Amino acid sequence: MLTGHAPDDLDKALAACAKGDRTALRGIFDREAGRLVAVAERIVRRRDLAEEVVQDAFIRIWTHAHQYDPTRGSARGWIYAIVRNRALNLLRDGKREHTVEEVDALRESEQVNEVIAAWRKLDRNSLLHDCLGALDETKRHGILMAYVGGYSHGEIAGRLRIPLGTAKSWIRRGLASLRECMA
Amino acid sequence: MTYDRNDIPGTADEYVLGLLDPRDAAEVEVEMERDAELKDAIAASRERFLPLDTSIEPAAISEGLWRRIEAALPAQSKSIEKMPPTRPANDNRHGWRMTALLAIAATIALAIGLAASLMRIQEPLVVAVLLNDAGEVQAVVEDFGSEKAVVRMLADFDVPSDKTIQVWTLPSRETGPVSLGLIDGIHSATLDGPVLPTPQRDQLYEITLEQAGGSPTGLPTGPILAKGFAKLPR
Repeated sequence: MLTGHAPDDLDKALAACAKGDRTALRGIFDREAGRLVAVAERIVRRRDLAEEVVQDAFIRIWTHAHQYDPTRGSARGWIYAIVRNRALNLLRDGKREHTVEEVDALRESEQVNEVIAAWRKLDRNSLLHDCLGALDETKRHGILMAYVGGYSHGEIAGRLRIPLGTAKSWIRRGLASLRECMA
Repeated sequence: MTYDRNDIPGTADEYVLGLLDPRDAAEVEVEMERDAELKDAIAASRERFLPLDTSIEPAAISEGLWRRIEAALPAQSKSIEKMPPTRPANDNRHGWRMTALLAIAATIALAIGLAASLMRIQEPLVVAVLLNDAGEVQAVVEDFGSEKAVVRMLADFDVPSDKTIQVWTLPSRETGPVSLGLIDGIHSATLDGPVLPTPQRDQLYEITLEQAGGSPTGLPTGPILAKGFAKLPR
């Protein structure tokens, strides 16, 4: 399944970046950096680490712009995926372990709420909003905790107080329902 | 994991959500380069979930963040030399323009030649001695940074006619292994690699045996002939 989309300014900006045009990269920064830092911060939970993620991601956008293929997804999806991958890699390298220790239980639960609130901020007329809303609450929360907060299967199971195997199969089934609903 | 071909959309979703363990995620990243169905499924999954990111309240951004990015940008490998942006309105005579273009081309050719001759007396930024499993020295890589590396073969290798030796380095875990180039036959060679960060102490270099024309996946697939870590010349 190809994701068709009309070429937009971000497509053009990436093509210009591949040719060495720094003002095009600056254009992407001006348009997207605020959201990208916020997205990274939801995952790594520290502003300084989030900025580090976005800084590294922009270097990668610059050096890999020539690899972006408009026939395989939108430029925006490609750019956000680079930031998300950097943020998730930072988690895997264990930096959040350290930060979680610094965070007390109250703040922790606030973060779970923030993750779940991302669903409420979606455009109410959007398919994603409706299809997430059609899922059982546990499946919806599991999917949101993974995508929005970068939680692992184990962390999700712990916070939803369900066995690990159950968390994995619920999320897998939830994702299948979501694909069917949005197809 | 060797992902389930019957559930590519499921694997794609779990990859996009960051739910695969790091090894499985790395496998998906390698596979998606040769499996168009997987690549398309990942792109479709990203598009489905993207509104959760784009609907976020933007953070306030300082100019300092852009300055740090700009300071760290490498030059693009194929950056196009910009022509002077302004020219007199009456300057549209093709003869002059052709002469100017030829002059620019000659200047660039001279600059490349000069850079190449300077390269010969330039010190490498790092040197890596590559050893085989038995600990015997097999080759030395001198990395000059700025897209140039020299590999000196110090042992004989049995390279079948349908195979080639490929030189790799690992600038960082995030980047993954990057090919510096192929060696035709078994002799020392100067390689024009891609634009990479400045080589660092203890950066890994290795040579592998790949199919003729180089690894089909862009990542090392064949047996490692020798490897070693970079040292800084004193």
